[in-house]
Amino acid sequence: MHMSRMVALATALTVGIAAPALAQDKLVRVWHTETEPQTIKAFNDLARRFEAKNPGIKIEAEGLAWTDLEGKIMASLAAGSPPELSHGQPITCTALQSKGLLNPLDEVMKAIGEDNIWEQVKRVCNVGGKQFGLVHAAGTSLLIYRKDMADKAGLKPPKTWNDFLANAKALTQSTKGDGKIDIYGITLPGDNLFINILMGELIKSNGGALFDKNNKPLFTDQKMIEVLEFWRELVKYAPPGWEGDGYLQTFQNLYGQKAAMMFQGYGRGAGLIEKFAPKEKANDKTFDVWSKPVGPSGKEPGVQVDEEPWMLFKDAKHQKEAIEFLKFFYQDDNYLEYVSTVPIHLFPITKSLRASPKYQNLEMIQRWKGWIEVQQGYLDKDQGKPTLVVDWSDMTEKPYLLEVLGSGIVRDMVMDVVLEKWEPKRAADKAQRRLEDLLRSKGYLKG
Amino acid sequence: MNGGRALSEPVPSANSELFRLPEAAVGILLILPAILLLLSLTLYPVLYGVWISFFNKHSFFPQQTFIGFDNYISLLRDPEFWASVWRGTVYALSTIVLQIILGVAAALLLNEVFPGRNILRGIVIFPYVVPTVVAVIVWKWLLNSQFGLVNYLIEKAGLVDQPISFMGKDWIMVSLIIVSVWQFFPFVVIGVLARLQTIPDELYDAAKVDGGNAWQRFVYVTLPQLKSVLFVIVLLRSIWMFTKFDTPWLMIQGGGAETYIRTLPIYTYMRTFAYYEAGLGSAMAVVMFLALAGAAVLYFRIWRREENL
Repeated sequence: MHMSRMVALATALTVGIAAPALAQDKLVRVWHTETEPQTIKAFNDLARRFEAKNPGIKIEAEGLAWTDLEGKIMASLAAGSPPELSHGQPITCTALQSKGLLNPLDEVMKAIGEDNIWEQVKRVCNVGGKQFGLVHAAGTSLLIYRKDMADKAGLKPPKTWNDFLANAKALTQSTKGDGKIDIYGITLPGDNLFINILMGELIKSNGGALFDKNNKPLFTDQKMIEVLEFWRELVKYAPPGWEGDGYLQTFQNLYGQKAAMMFQGYGRGAGLIEKFAPKEKANDKTFDVWSKPVGPSGKEPGVQVDEEPWMLFKDAKHQKEAIEFLKFFYQDDNYLEYVSTVPIHLFPITKSLRASPKYQNLEMIQRWKGWIEVQQGYLDKDQGKPTLVVDWSDMTEKPYLLEVLGSGIVRDMVMDVVLEKWEPKRAADKAQRRLEDLLRSKGYLKG
Repeated sequence: MNGGRALSEPVPSANSELFRLPEAAVGILLILPAILLLLSLTLYPVLYGVWISFFNKHSFFPQQTFIGFDNYISLLRDPEFWASVWRGTVYALSTIVLQIILGVAAALLLNEVFPGRNILRGIVIFPYVVPTVVAVIVWKWLLNSQFGLVNYLIEKAGLVDQPISFMGKDWIMVSLIIVSVWQFFPFVVIGVLARLQTIPDELYDAAKVDGGNAWQRFVYVTLPQLKSVLFVIVLLRSIWMFTKFDTPWLMIQGGGAETYIRTLPIYTYMRTFAYYEAGLGSAMAVVMFLALAGAAVLYFRIWRREENL
């Protein structure tokens, strides 16, 4: 072949390969944990509007289940191709930030207005004054109960764990008069994530902690033993086989009238109740919320806040575009469209939106006002923390909480007590040893 | 003079004689790229897994430290490792026995001639072609304690007073076995049915003439003929059921008493992707491989001894 023809062919090939790359949009990959169809639709609509205003940028959004998210994030980091933005547990954000894998989102904070963001939210994944995670929306866990049944039985809001156990016992009933229990006092999920969430709540409510300042586990402390003793009593009023129930199954048990209380309910339960409970019962006169009780060694309740922060990955390709997208996301009108898909659960992080009449007048908020007020109360009194975080300092000083969550050691300890009928001290000793080994192997615990 | 060559034939140059490779070498060169690709996709990951089993290695970050056999010592001392081996053995043995019994019975039935046999053969194969995700999701709904069809039927039949919690600690292993047997017995059916169709009728005729009843014909004619195919099926199903990950993993997603079906593959996954201990996870995988390889060798030895008797 003549040289000139070879040059022409090589040039054509190069242009043919490069041209599509040059013409390609900047792809911003976004992973989030809101998988309800209406939220996915709202998010995608938001993304299309952003694309229309920003030609040359494409948003590829993916809704993932909580249980899938951490594994997928880790795999993408190992492969060197993380998304631009992802939700994550607050402890995931802390763990990734401690390894230098995230970039701060201070620019987005400034665009929203730092004073416009609730203080509680700013504490999540804030390291050295920089915001490495920005919460997408916050909702606390709720103690949901059958108000109709409680009123009939003359029950009062439980202030202590003993009060709560008495209420659970009173609400465990045979409603058909045949002596067989068909409504249980409480429904609890048995999966690892929710056992860990409940552990965090109970230890906080009992005035305890999970780890000391030197990262030594505190599982053999009296306050932990009291938590396990309470758990052992509580499951007596749960349906048989409760340990096989997942998070969604517990909602089914509640609106399906198999259980009268749900310790780990969330605001999205209001939507499920409206969808699936009998019409005459699908309201807050039947399903109301109590403030969570306090343990024998505690002074105030502790609840988990479901507040996944957005994280911006250092190795992602289109970071500037991702930041612009987040600024667009938090603009009041766009943000309202997002949070109004599950309004009782997705609390906006901006004061401006929360105070706005458009938000306050959302029909669902009007219908479930009591649920909103209880959550607001927890947040205002700083009684809400992320999963396994007992004190805000844990966010920066305990980057191993993600590994503790994934290890299943807490779940195994609880199951040893409530299912295998071990004495709490024996189960706690075993968990203590396992956690010490885990933290030592990771270098967090010396000696 | 042209050395006896036709005028139309090209004259071989001195150079082409030097570069003519033997045919065997050409064949090897042609298949070499495929072999290299196969080895890189199979052998390399296995060897890398063995390599990192001697390291303390984070699953996702590059830090690693050589620790020799510490991972192996650690897992042999781990009570949870032995518990998961036990659970995996219970699961594998139970499902294999039930698959064989059900599979052979179904194959015997499908070997008979009756109306609708072909349709029934298609229905029997159906569980095997259903994706595992679909099978587990459907079964979890069937076994749901509140809305499941199975509980509805057994309560209606008066077999139980209260719904059974099939995902709870007392029943989840049974549920897992039921789902696995349902999904994989068709594999046994296919292999056994194919072999049944090659058994000469004369053997059965001779057995009848000798006064053998149906059971005796099964034991003395059918089973010996099925020996070789059952050998392969038991070997393959054992390896696959002992290393099964997807079915038990999917059973515990969204709720399920995970601890009670935490088999060795599940525990290996947890140590690798939840504890982020790739070195220890690899050590567990190596131990699993060696155990299965040892069991396979023993199995072949027993089989050969049986054949020689």
